[in-house]
Amino acid sequence: MVDFFIGLFLASLITALFTTRLYRLLMWYSFNSFTLGVLALLIGMKLQDNAMLITGIATILIKAVGIPYFLKSFSQKFHFVRQITPEIKVQYAIMLIPAILVFTFYLAEPITNMIANNSNYVAISISSLFLSLLLMMEHKNVAPKIIGFLSMENSLFLLGITATDGMPMLVELGIFFDLLMAIIVINLLFHREEMKNA
Amino acid sequence: MIIYVTTIAVLLLLAPLLLSFIKSLKMVLLFKRPSSLLQGYRNFSKLMKKETIISQETSSITTYAPFLVLSPLLVTMFFLPPVVHGAFYVSFVDAFTITGLLSLSTFFLMLLGLDSASAFGGMGSSREAFISALVEPAMVLTVFSVSMMAGDLGIGQAGVNLAEHFPKEHMASFLFAGISFFILLIAENGRIPVDNPETHLELTMVHEAMILDLSGVYLAIIETAASVKFVIFASLFVSLFIPLGLQYSAPVAILIFIAKLFGVAVAVALLEVNTAKLRLFKVPNLLGISIVFAFLSLITFYVLGA
Repeated sequence: MVDFFIGLFLASLITALFTTRLYRLLMWYSFNSFTLGVLALLIGMKLQDNAMLITGIATILIKAVGIPYFLKSFSQKFHFVRQITPEIKVQYAIMLIPAILVFTFYLAEPITNMIANNSNYVAISISSLFLSLLLMMEHKNVAPKIIGFLSMENSLFLLGITATDGMPMLVELGIFFDLLMAIIVINLLFHREEMKNA
Repeated sequence: MIIYVTTIAVLLLLAPLLLSFIKSLKMVLLFKRPSSLLQGYRNFSKLMKKETIISQETSSITTYAPFLVLSPLLVTMFFLPPVVHGAFYVSFVDAFTITGLLSLSTFFLMLLGLDSASAFGGMGSSREAFISALVEPAMVLTVFSVSMMAGDLGIGQAGVNLAEHFPKEHMASFLFAGISFFILLIAENGRIPVDNPETHLELTMVHEAMILDLSGVYLAIIETAASVKFVIFASLFVSLFIPLGLQYSAPVAILIFIAKLFGVAVAVALLEVNTAKLRLFKVPNLLGISIVFAFLSLITFYVLGA
């Protein structure tokens, strides 16, 4: 079951790479975070870790519902460009994405030898880290870059819950507050963009 | 053996029903008055009675191509994985054979389109060639990776193995293969994001453009071929990616199988209602996603074993 949701996580990220509409991208990000939350719940139940259950619920509430909703309302408020065409053409992306995946799967091999269980998940989370970097790189607009940043955070979270059998609760909450800060900074950025356009 | 023949007969009978089911479900979802579920059979019997007119410009290809479109598909029906545990099946047919048979049928369809020497036919054929050239590698990769997970290259044997031992440990790569195959199902059957089967607008036609000059019996044959193709893809999807319920007794298992086929039809109808048709030059993007997922499923299986 965990494998299935890991698959959904990576699949939604790859689909987000090919998306050309902002709201669709937000939807894929929300789905991505939702699978992450379910993964945290599943692994937390397996490890009998209450802290991870709490972070899973917080992930679903904040990242899958809250952040996409706020970003959508921001983009409506500041009249963002909703058509976001990737700078990297699709025919190159088709070759680039499998290349990145193969590269990272082999890159993660020494790490996976060190970890006893869930070693596959580490490889997948590192590859999703690289894919979200690609998502940041392939867009010129601010909004999809933010989504790339947020999904990078998602894949780091995945790395945290799968590689270490649960981070301390404090660290995870710290990451959430970090995100909140990031959203505030993003809001300021939007304001500046607005000023520049006006 | 009886179950084997019964399954094929059921699939053949069900083929027009599934397409008309999709159509009427779409009409219900769009708040229209739905057409009858039996419309497929009605069209077939009506077309069989009608006069067949062949254009003077055509060569002999038009007279035999419709049969060559249908026959590879009918052959493929015999190679599908079994729906009941212990039923007869053909075990040695692999991904390449199935893809080859399907593309043989597509090849004759394209010839048929070119043969009428109308502008529409050539346009439709070139578009179909464009799409099916992209579908084939993804299809081979997907079916290949699923049969690797099942531990046997033969599709029939793979279906049986998947039903007996569901690959829980390979769930991630199984999911990627499933996504890829569903996109292929839509692309190869000309459903909405790729081709709209209901319009006769020259900008959007692919399948309809090739068969524009046909009438009577030949049109009936081609329409049957289209529905049979959908049933083949749907039943491949169902028996490779939802391999459940084979262990019951024969009638129950066949009923479960039919229910799963209708489930696929519902999924296709929902997708058709919710998406707009893609521009023709955007279709490679969709099929590119499918190829990426097929490749991803293979490498996830090989490198990670997940």
